[in-house]
Amino acid sequence: MEFAEVVGIRRSIRFFDPDRAVEREKIQKILEAMRLGSCAMNAHWLRAIVVYRDDLAPETFEALKLPVAGVVMELAPVHIYCYGDLSVIQNDHGKQPKLLIDMGALAPSHGWTHRFVDEFVWPMLLDPMSKSPQYPIAMAFDNGGCATQGLLMAYEEGLGACWTAFNIPVAKEAFGVPDHWVPHYVLNLGYPLESREAGGQRPRPPFEDLYFEGRVGNPFRRDEKVVEELKRRKMIQASAPFPNRQQELRDLARRLGLPE
Amino acid sequence: MLDRPVESYDTVAAWESGLRTQWGGNPFAEDPVKLRTLVEFCEFVARDPDAVIAFCFLRKRATGERFQSKQRRDELLRRLKEFEIAGSSGIDARRRRSHVVSFLSHNGVLIY
Repeated sequence: MEFAEVVGIRRSIRFFDPDRAVEREKIQKILEAMRLGSCAMNAHWLRAIVVYRDDLAPETFEALKLPVAGVVMELAPVHIYCYGDLSVIQNDHGKQPKLLIDMGALAPSHGWTHRFVDEFVWPMLLDPMSKSPQYPIAMAFDNGGCATQGLLMAYEEGLGACWTAFNIPVAKEAFGVPDHWVPHYVLNLGYPLESREAGGQRPRPPFEDLYFEGRVGNPFRRDEKVVEELKRRKMIQASAPFPNRQQELRDLARRLGLPE
Repeated sequence: MLDRPVESYDTVAAWESGLRTQWGGNPFAEDPVKLRTLVEFCEFVARDPDAVIAFCFLRKRATGERFQSKQRRDELLRRLKEFEIAGSSGIDARRRRSHVVSFLSHNGVLIY
């Protein structure tokens, strides 16, 4: 699938085939995509724990579920719990930026030298940043980007996925999560039981309400020619609601014995 | 156990209205098992439908603000599990549970 179409077909899937296992190699591809995501200072804060629903003790699984996520977690055969490792910067002590210099990713043309890392980047930037209250927010931003690459890979592989929250203390105990890992979300993963369109692309706020040019309040004007191109490339697709969606939802609920 | 027809309870009317809005049609006429299962559950927990929903809510002592009690929901969840396995097994048990969950969620209470 072309990248634009992968972006276009991605939407949260909440009805999975509960009995169809996900191939281990597809899970690995998702994790590989996460690992290649962009992160400041090559820090790689993202940690993930792959959990197979059917391997969980029933009482643990029950305790992991939150009310609004319960059905999704029950239907998805694979759950990828995502965390951020807060210890990365302190443990690394400036080694990653030096590695980026050695690898030719950072260059003196932009001010990057080993000495600059020792004299400025570590003591004035990374060390204080990693002790600041803003640090987990910065980490979460990068982790969201990395995790989204994995999410898109799932659709490239013909799977569906949905992020949900989970019971943090129960997961910590059940999966041996260290104290310095910050919980994000769990990626529920499986083969979609609902149609690929899943009722159409979800409504979004108007483009010009979200993005600006030069100054807040000056909307980035949308060029309709670009919109048309992205429609042709299947990134912008028919928007929800689809006329047959309610019937599809009801059929799925009845097939799976779920509430109506 | 119910002292009047099950359809006459406010929470059952809310359930019917929610189902009708979501799916259209005449939900209880098309699927009488829904109401029958709710009546069985009410008998199982010895509460009428309005009392089942009311059981899930408490008021804060200080402000009088109404809120859903986690403890009460957990208690109801425990009884729902007992009810589910008491009647049947497999997909039938799941459907039996789902009718009750549907009644709860159309009244603003979700337990899983």
